[in-house]
Amino acid sequence: MAAFLQILVNGVLFGSMYGVAAIGLSLIFGTMQIIFIAQGAMMILAAYITYWIFTLTSVDPFFCFVLIIPIFLGIGWIFYAGLFSRVAAAGKNPSLLLAFGLMILLENLMSLAWTANTRAVTTSYTGMGLAVGNIQISFTRAVVFLISLLATGLVFFFMKKTLWGKAVRAASENIKAAALLGISPRRVSGITFSIGIALAGIAGVATATTYPFDPYFGFVFSLKALIAVAFGGIGSVGGAMFGGILLGVIESVSAYTISGGWADAISYGAFLLVLMFRPQGIFGRSAAS
Amino acid sequence: MGEHNWKAICWGGFPLLGFLLVFPFLVDSEESYLVYFLFLTFIYVSMAQGWNLVAGYAGQASLGQHAFFGVGAYVTAIAWKAEWIGYLDPVGMLLSGLGAAVLAILIGIPLLAKLRGDYFALGTLGLGEILRVVFTQGGSLTGGPVGLMLPSSAYESMAPYYYIALAIALVTLLVLFLLLRSSVGLAFVAIREDEEAAGANGIFVLKYKILAFSVGAFFTGMCGSIFAYYLFHIHPSGVFSLNWALLPVLMTILGGIGTLMGPIIGAFVMSAVFEMANTWLPDIHPIFSGAFIILVMLFLPKGIMSLGSKGDQSPILRRLLPFKRAV
Amino acid sequence: MKHLLEVSSVDIFYGDAQAVWDVSFCVDREQIVALVGANGAGKSTLLDAISCIVRPSRGEVLFQGKSINHVRPEEVAALGISHVPEGRGLFSRMTVLENLELGGFPVRARPSFEESLARVFDLFPVLKNRIHQRAGSLSGGEQQMLAIARAVMAKPVVLMLDEPSLGLAPVIVKLMFEIIQDLNREGVTVLLVEQNVHRTLEIADHAYVLKTGRMELSGKGSDLLRNPEFKQAYLGMKG
Repeated sequence: MAAFLQILVNGVLFGSMYGVAAIGLSLIFGTMQIIFIAQGAMMILAAYITYWIFTLTSVDPFFCFVLIIPIFLGIGWIFYAGLFSRVAAAGKNPSLLLAFGLMILLENLMSLAWTANTRAVTTSYTGMGLAVGNIQISFTRAVVFLISLLATGLVFFFMKKTLWGKAVRAASENIKAAALLGISPRRVSGITFSIGIALAGIAGVATATTYPFDPYFGFVFSLKALIAVAFGGIGSVGGAMFGGILLGVIESVSAYTISGGWADAISYGAFLLVLMFRPQGIFGRSAAS
Repeated sequence: MGEHNWKAICWGGFPLLGFLLVFPFLVDSEESYLVYFLFLTFIYVSMAQGWNLVAGYAGQASLGQHAFFGVGAYVTAIAWKAEWIGYLDPVGMLLSGLGAAVLAILIGIPLLAKLRGDYFALGTLGLGEILRVVFTQGGSLTGGPVGLMLPSSAYESMAPYYYIALAIALVTLLVLFLLLRSSVGLAFVAIREDEEAAGANGIFVLKYKILAFSVGAFFTGMCGSIFAYYLFHIHPSGVFSLNWALLPVLMTILGGIGTLMGPIIGAFVMSAVFEMANTWLPDIHPIFSGAFIILVMLFLPKGIMSLGSKGDQSPILRRLLPFKRAV
Repeated sequence: MKHLLEVSSVDIFYGDAQAVWDVSFCVDREQIVALVGANGAGKSTLLDAISCIVRPSRGEVLFQGKSINHVRPEEVAALGISHVPEGRGLFSRMTVLENLELGGFPVRARPSFEESLARVFDLFPVLKNRIHQRAGSLSGGEQQMLAIARAVMAKPVVLMLDEPSLGLAPVIVKLMFEIIQDLNREGVTVLLVEQNVHRTLEIADHAYVLKTGRMELSGKGSDLLRNPEFKQAYLGMKG
């Protein structure tokens, strides 16, 4: 029983990282209707930045959480204004391919710059754990989990309580009606894109502190984040985080009970099942488009 | 869409075809890089057309073509290893095509019946990934993550590969052409424009979607087959690589989706660009490829075929309009 | 003296299909102007052109004397034109209050937000009781009220309403037309597209009749109501 709880806890902690990236994907999809497949690559970029800041300056990697947010908000805005806003009118396939091209470019630039060797951030407290009853909780993963929840809460607050957040929700529901009220589709998309990238950044810092990574790790992570969105439902911030945690738990349980290779098949299988039988996800509201 | 410029096709197409047919005799096909390049490009053409049929004509953008490619490769590899078929065996290639088509029908029925648009794309993506995992775990049947090794001693010459690939590309083109001219083609257009209206008018929408999906899969499967024959060693991360899903999409969009010539042009251009990058900038060619894709999407998102048609050009040249003139 | 809003010789296409042929009309300050006509007459298209959702391929749309042909739809609210589209365009997953808040989105409307909200609750008391309800759960009449209220939150100079009476019970329709007149008395210029011809003409200062994309008749609301030709063609009455 203790073993099972341990697996559960591990899954929840790990899954919160998927959740953060998934919220970003869900926001971007909600307003721009595109699958931003480069989300994982952005995450890895943040992981590298964290790694280098720590390696070169010994600044605590958790400090990077604060640093990364404005940087990635800015990067997100630049990418939107410079790339995605120009392709938006051409349709979804070109936007998807643009994201794909960006992913390839980033992955390989990072590989060129920093080699394809796996990196990890090891600090004095990396191995530390807390014991809660019979369960071991890694310190870094616990912190990451809390930060993920905090990020979720911030985004949720933004969407519910601020005027621009409501504008984003409105535009996700009916972009034409929102425009008639004076809400610029361009601004809304830019904002959600920036937030989405910033969330990828947070997930990246989280990855760097808890897990070894390499330039090509991002793609699989993008897929997992997509699965998390499918579980939780598009358009729901809490749903995306829930989806991420659910996926983390599924992976954790599968990896423990079945041989590692099949664990992925379970995740993808669950993904297909959700798409077919509950495409709006557990918390989402729009049905299959 | 005023397509077939018959004069251009006759005056340009047939001589070109004739040239392509004799080309391997003009050069040393073992040494010539161009023969290899064309072989690969013919495969791309066929796969791009397969995607074009599903996405451009039937209106369902699939991100799962790599599933059919991989299955096709494995069907041939497994059958050859078990000595049911031989080297470059047409039966093998047909089996691969059929295997892929059957998979498309089996998976297509639930996916196409229930999912639209982005959800369908995601579903096909998931399918491809599941298959990759399944084949990685397949044990001795599929050779696991290492894959299957095939007897490379069977290799004699590059020429047969060239001609087989060319034949596949031509047959794909022919089949598409005939399909689109028939009532099936009309049904596709109706479905693409307004699915509900088409259904309300008595078109059995699901049947046509599955038809497009499985025909596209068939040719993609055959491409997987010839690829297996070429590489002599296939493994899951290679033949189920997402590149095989995204490159046909890229080539079709670059050339012009929903046109017959578009995927052909797109495949040639894209293939040339990648090979040149590979040759001249070998270390950084993926970087170059990524940058190229970005540039194409920025400046030619409607494809090369759209150059010259009025008004429908790069959105950079137009004011940003999420509201088009057509309602 | 300039017209507040002027549509001048516009042709409008949807793709290759022409929807409006050489239509001109104008709206003056504090008027109630109606566009009437059968389905497909092009009335909604003209509203879409004024709020810049579609662009005329020929001709001009002028607001306060300046051409707005090349303005983007999201800029139109800031100029002072509020468009309540057919079908209302409410954000049904959001609450009544949130919809109203978004109505006050344009920067120039934000300082007087509280005041506008009070005014809106005055005009539509039923909304006051439902502020935290999801807009999608309101009745048809309440939704139409909310849509108009939301448009009013932007402090519009011109309020454009597309088929506000569609699908509503006569008693609600009566109430709505009264509210439109109230708004007009407070200084809001109203451009109204309607199929409910009789009521519309009773309150309109001026009306334009459209038929398959072309201007057929125009005149003062009361005159048209007495015009026998008009009455026969559009009201099915004799003499």
